[in-house]
Amino acid sequence: MKASFNWLREYVDIDFAPDELGEDLTMAGFEVESISKVDANLNNVVVGKIMSLKPHPNADKLSLCQVSTGGHLYSVVCGAANMISGDYVALALEGALLPNGVKIKNTRIRGELSQGMMCSEEELKIGRDSQRILILQDDGLELGKDIASALNLEDYIFEINITPNRPDCLSIIGIAREIASITGKILKIPKIEYREGNEKIDKLTSVEIHDPELCPRYSASLINDVTIGLSPFWMRRRLESAGIRPISNVVDVTNYVLMEFGQPLHAFDFDLLSERRIVVQRADDGDIFTSLDGMERHLFSDTLMICDGEKPVAIGGIMGGLNSEVSENTSNVLIESAYFNPTNIRKTSKKLGLQTEASYRFERGVDYGGVIRALNRATQLVLDFCGGKTAKGIVDQYPSPVFPKEISLSVNKTNKILGTSLKKMKVKRHLKGIELDVKDLDRDKVIVKIPSFRMDLHREVDLIEEVARLDGYNNIPTTTPVVRVNTAGKNPAQVSQDRAKDILTSIGYYEVVNYSFISPLSVALLNLDDEHPYKRFISIKNPLREDQSIMRTTLIPGLLNTMKTNVYNKNLNLKLFELGTVFYSVEHEKLPKEKKMLSALATGLKYGESWSFPGEGIDFYDIKGSLENLFEGLNVMNFNFLPTPDIPYLHPGKSSIIMVDNTEIGTVGEVRSEVLEGYELSDTVYVFELDFDLMVKHTFSDKKIKPLSKYPPIYRDIALIVDESVQFKDIYNAINKLSNKLVDNIQVFDVYRGRSVANGKKSLAYRIKYQSYERTLTDKEVNNIHEKLVSNLVEKTGARIRE
Amino acid sequence: MKEELERLFAEALEKLKGAVEERQVAEIKAEFLGKKGKITALLRGLVNISQEQRPVMGCLANEIKISLEEKIKESLEVIRERKRKEYLLHESLDITLPGRRVPIGRKHPITEVCNEIIGIFLGLGFQISEGPEVELDYYNFEALNIPKDHPARDMHDTFYISDEVLLRTHTSPVQIRVMEKQSPPIQIIAPGKAFRCDSDVSHTPMFHQVEGLMVGDNITFGDLKGILTIFVHQMFGDKTRLRFRPSFFPFTEPSAEVDMQCVICRGKGCRVCSFSGWLEILGSGMVDPEVFKIVGYNPNEITGFAFGLGIERVAMLKYGINDIRMFFENDMRFLGQF
Repeated sequence: MKASFNWLREYVDIDFAPDELGEDLTMAGFEVESISKVDANLNNVVVGKIMSLKPHPNADKLSLCQVSTGGHLYSVVCGAANMISGDYVALALEGALLPNGVKIKNTRIRGELSQGMMCSEEELKIGRDSQRILILQDDGLELGKDIASALNLEDYIFEINITPNRPDCLSIIGIAREIASITGKILKIPKIEYREGNEKIDKLTSVEIHDPELCPRYSASLINDVTIGLSPFWMRRRLESAGIRPISNVVDVTNYVLMEFGQPLHAFDFDLLSERRIVVQRADDGDIFTSLDGMERHLFSDTLMICDGEKPVAIGGIMGGLNSEVSENTSNVLIESAYFNPTNIRKTSKKLGLQTEASYRFERGVDYGGVIRALNRATQLVLDFCGGKTAKGIVDQYPSPVFPKEISLSVNKTNKILGTSLKKMKVKRHLKGIELDVKDLDRDKVIVKIPSFRMDLHREVDLIEEVARLDGYNNIPTTTPVVRVNTAGKNPAQVSQDRAKDILTSIGYYEVVNYSFISPLSVALLNLDDEHPYKRFISIKNPLREDQSIMRTTLIPGLLNTMKTNVYNKNLNLKLFELGTVFYSVEHEKLPKEKKMLSALATGLKYGESWSFPGEGIDFYDIKGSLENLFEGLNVMNFNFLPTPDIPYLHPGKSSIIMVDNTEIGTVGEVRSEVLEGYELSDTVYVFELDFDLMVKHTFSDKKIKPLSKYPPIYRDIALIVDESVQFKDIYNAINKLSNKLVDNIQVFDVYRGRSVANGKKSLAYRIKYQSYERTLTDKEVNNIHEKLVSNLVEKTGARIRE
Repeated sequence: MKEELERLFAEALEKLKGAVEERQVAEIKAEFLGKKGKITALLRGLVNISQEQRPVMGCLANEIKISLEEKIKESLEVIRERKRKEYLLHESLDITLPGRRVPIGRKHPITEVCNEIIGIFLGLGFQISEGPEVELDYYNFEALNIPKDHPARDMHDTFYISDEVLLRTHTSPVQIRVMEKQSPPIQIIAPGKAFRCDSDVSHTPMFHQVEGLMVGDNITFGDLKGILTIFVHQMFGDKTRLRFRPSFFPFTEPSAEVDMQCVICRGKGCRVCSFSGWLEILGSGMVDPEVFKIVGYNPNEITGFAFGLGIERVAMLKYGINDIRMFFENDMRFLGQF
């Protein structure tokens, strides 16, 4: 809401600076987002009076004026035609620099001396009219006075954030009322009086409300023989200050009263109303109506329409119709001031996709007690600025009257909720300060009568808030609550999340946070068949962008896109992870299943660019090692990697399913090149994805240590030449099976292909640790056991010993 | 024999003088004192000399042997000392080369800041609760006293999945889910993601909030001020001033926005605080009695407060980040700075 400082001052005395006022409003709950100064910047432009006017001797369209500034008389050549002798004008004198860049100099125009210029609104940048010069109203103007101060052009515009509960402050008087309560000054409501005509309004028109629920009150006045034209300069200026474009005097009056009192009004061209009457009723589904803005609107059965004797003429509370619009030919106007059902206005406004100053206020609730006052104010201003005469009386249909509410307020309860010790006297004083009618009920309670403009106050707690607000939140004592001692704040899953992030960052992974919504294309690129769980996504009905239109079922697309961003910025060595929620649609369930996933991506050089580390690229065993680190750090025991060719986006020979306690918890592998191409990526990329919730269930918390042996171990190595198809684990398991209890540990320490190993074969070298927990082993004893192990191994596996 | 011994001794000393390596000294030792050494051989000849002469010669030979051994030791010591000096003198590294670092990663700034916030509230006895990110309209709005067709819905630009299901626009629905399950007293925080269809320098369609809720028999607005003051002081320093001003949230009454003194200019006024000296940091208020009724609490017996703060906002102030979108671009040049 935009509020002009000058306009506010019409209703309440403000004897402090704009920024102080802004601070006070903010602290009273009306957050002032900005205060902008309106500078006139009009030096050497002064009030002048045209003393004489005659045609220019050498030009048909120019005239020659003598303009007085009190002490001086200036000759001015002028091209406009709207002025007469005796008019007050804005005279720019030599040296003036107008906002449009024009510099005023004494000059000769077609041979005649011109010592200045009479300006239009547009030239002064205070209005839009560029055809005519600005004629000032002679209400005690001082000749020669600086135009900015004469017209009160300097102003401050407050941009105020009015919360939805305070529609009463969507008006200048509403804000002025709050200022009055802050400063203790008196609110000055303008005096409303006008001379009524003789003909009774009932004879001229009628209003019928067919749906009192949607329209509890409808009032109207009638003004005949108006002259449509420009509204006065000050009114147009005020409308502009509030962000409303001036249109014509009648329309401007309705908008002016809208901003002044917060009551939306509408003016109809009375002669365009069939049967010269108003009927308020619902539309039929599918009806079409052209609103003032020229748009065709498709109506619904709950759209409330203002109709005449035969057709709709306005969408009630939202926008008028083109068919009854006030135009320059209008001479008789009917002004509507009504109260519409807030919920229905909001529904209609949403359905039609049409929000207006009127609907914005009606849906929040206007002052039902102020309907007539606003109507009278508008009638008065129309008579003042558009001429004409009124009928006798007004129409006021009020089939379902709203009565002021009374609420009781307990001072004890107020203090209990706020933690204050306010006295009843003070509570009463605060409430009276915002025009509430307060009476004692008993020693503790008061009865508060709520005025019609405060629709938001309907419960005791609403009054408690008013008391807190008016006393000042910062005056409420700051205390600390007495609470029960609680147990630890994090559950095991939350602890595991922290731990997982600690582990992954400590081994070089950077945490990323991606949007929870992704592009449908990014999932399609993973080559999944239709049954794949990652395809069970849910879609957003109103996404901001197509590539943010489905909820992610996997974190991998996000990681690949993050890689893309970074590759673009030449960050090529990446180790990234994300721990976040994914969403799967579930049949017959409203909400999707949500679970936490932990995924990572690794690409580029193992150690980054370094002068001393080898420039080796990351490979499968790096990311597998990261997983092993993670599992060990999280106490996930019994994990196992099973080779699989079946993951559609991973290399069939370089991917694995991750099992824990025989449950599949995730996958790891190299991303297929065709998938990377889809993401416009190259290089070699490894990813893993874990069902974090599932994994956490397999963390082992009951850890016990193994005793340390007091006796030295003995190591023996064994290198076996096997077929390529034989895997590390096969031999490992065989050794394990053949081992006696002295074998404490088996480790692979070399995998070799090449010289001295035949094609299609490889050498696997294991180091076996022999260890007793009871005595010192002898070489001889270990040699015997080891030799036996080796010969058994050769026999069982068909492997050959590498010499 | 005596002359022979003395000659050999002199010869050995002469050779020792020329030795520059330990190996050479060892060779000299072997040449004279080894099993087949020249002095050793001479000493073997002692049996051939006369009985009277033998002790004298034996004594002399022994003296020479000991003396030579000492000389050898000295010579070795000299060589070693020289070597040690040479080592210290000549072997040196360019210690200005960067160390061999095993690369480590970083947590996302949102995580870092969220953990810091959580840490403060854990210390105050709060527990952590979580709720779904895709939420029912009921929990996100209706149970929070925001009926359908209420203008307060304009404060939330909502992503919808269906008429009834949406992406939660704040973490407040967790309040309702917790109160439905638990009876008072309640003291929780709920960190998490929230979504609104809005995107510019200061808005992203996804962001993070921490919700707080404290409900009990005698919880007051003063307590709300107390807890949030402790939080702001711990997060931004003891001297940070704060102010509470009236605002509106449908699920709290009275409602308060909390501003803290601008951390950039310390209240003097700068671009970050729009020259007001204050920064909006928290929304809060006393739980509205309607909300208590909805979850089946008796609003005449129970009071409580709730608050919510934006994690990005805190992180932006803490690290001087001026474009919120940077959090979700995940550029390594950004992530590497935390």
